[in-house]
Amino acid sequence: VTQTLVATAGEAPREAEIAFERLYRSSRDDVYAYAAGILRDPAAAEEVTATAFERAFRKRARFDPGRGEPRAWLFGIARNAALDELRRRGRQAELRAEPADPVGGGAADGVEQSERRLLLDTALGALSGADRELIALKYFAGLDNAEIASVLEISESNAGTRLHRAMDKLREACDGAI
Amino acid sequence: MEPFRDDAEIAAALRETRPAPHPEFAARLDARAARGFPREPRLAIPGLPRLREILSATPPRRLLGAGGAVAVAAIVIATAVVATSETGSPTSPVRPLTYPVGRSVRPAVAPRAEQAAPTPRASGGAAAAAGNASPHAAGSETQSDGVQFESAPAPGSGPYASHAARRDVERGAQIVLAAEPERVRADAAKVFDAVHAADGIVLSSSIRDGKAGVAGAEFELLIPAGKLGDSLAALSRIAEVRSRNESTQDITAPTVGVAERLQDSRARIEGLLGQLAAAGTNEERAAVEAELRAERRREAALRSRLSSLRRRASFSRVSVRIETGAAPSREGGGWGIGDGLDDAGRILAIAGGVTAIGLAILAPFALIALLAWLARRAWVRHARRAALG
Repeated sequence: VTQTLVATAGEAPREAEIAFERLYRSSRDDVYAYAAGILRDPAAAEEVTATAFERAFRKRARFDPGRGEPRAWLFGIARNAALDELRRRGRQAELRAEPADPVGGGAADGVEQSERRLLLDTALGALSGADRELIALKYFAGLDNAEIASVLEISESNAGTRLHRAMDKLREACDGAI
Repeated sequence: MEPFRDDAEIAAALRETRPAPHPEFAARLDARAARGFPREPRLAIPGLPRLREILSATPPRRLLGAGGAVAVAAIVIATAVVATSETGSPTSPVRPLTYPVGRSVRPAVAPRAEQAAPTPRASGGAAAAAGNASPHAAGSETQSDGVQFESAPAPGSGPYASHAARRDVERGAQIVLAAEPERVRADAAKVFDAVHAADGIVLSSSIRDGKAGVAGAEFELLIPAGKLGDSLAALSRIAEVRSRNESTQDITAPTVGVAERLQDSRARIEGLLGQLAAAGTNEERAAVEAELRAERRREAALRSRLSSLRRRASFSRVSVRIETGAAPSREGGGWGIGDGLDDAGRILAIAGGVTAIGLAILAPFALIALLAWLARRAWVRHARRAALG
């Protein structure tokens, strides 16, 4: 997503409101998915999501388009909120409930698919927080490597390398769980 | 259960298991977003949340601009306060006392000469007083006989003779009067009358006739210090007063010092006279006599110096000028380009001083705040990295 979703400081206030609303609409579920993926706690993910958007709304006038895309900026704020939540708890929360999936999850899935989902979840839980964050940013939030690099403040190639390693570890964890 | 065949299959499974927000939470968050994420009041201080909101929503450039404007306003206000409260020249050793026209002037320190002021006849040939009453600054001086005096007070009197029971104060005044050209002579006569009434002395006078701007008069007067206030009032009544300045200088320390040295010199003469009486040989007598002559010269010079100092305290030098025509811009109270430049330079200097003082006060706090902010930021970054394990 490369479109400008946050108005610059020079724009009229109304335009800034509209731009932020667009960013909110397009990123709400992604931010929640990222937070849930890293925290593995739906309640904490909801709190972090709300906090992230609140902070972003307060700081929307400070957004500098020259320093990156608005989505990367938003996920940087969400990341800090999520890490602050992790610090507050002092530990990585265990998954207390299965993440709700109103679209795909349900009785229509076969046993095989449910088992695979459980396997994947178990494997994700075995990963380190940093690896799980990379996977959450890529596959839950839908960020590309450039955006991930911007959020983590690393180079794009480094982001790709780390993501590749995280996927290797996830596959090994899945194989080990079987 | 079949294992994942490749990363693409894992990626697809991950996207399928992507957590989605609960519809109730999504609806609540949408409602908050529509209201602009109102912050729940946590602090009891009214208006503080709103202030925080405004500050966090304001771009840094605008915050910097607003902060700069506040700083400039503070400097301007402080400069105005300092400039309006400042009086006199800080570098002048004798601060002129300028009083509003028509006010009766009384010094804060009553001169000692008020009790012991001599009363010479007006213009009565008090040449000695006229010659010695000029307002010299207290300092090292050389008399005509070659004897050098140091104004430093004798031991025990201190640099300002602060323990002296009575103060010797030399006073001076300058008055500028405005008159019509045809009234210059009449007003000059009134000046003489005022001086005579105060038993003062006219050291010099100069009267010019002519048209406006040319006609005028100048007087150098000596007025007994005890009658200075009344004389100035009388002089001020002669014509319109364009300016009136008074100055005072404390000469207690040199007076006390000279008096003490004079006492020492007299005691030494007494001692030398005793030695002269006891001298057994001509050589001894000649040596003591030579020393006695030198000491007597010194004693005479000291006596003259002390007399001069006391006359300076007894008589006040007053300059009177009668002007005709328009008042000069620099001296008559008018305000010109030169005055503007002077004022501008002075105000710039004050503003610079205020800024320097403000920076000196704020800089340590700003440095501490910056260090604290940097330390907290580094600690938070470290803690966030550690939180990920």
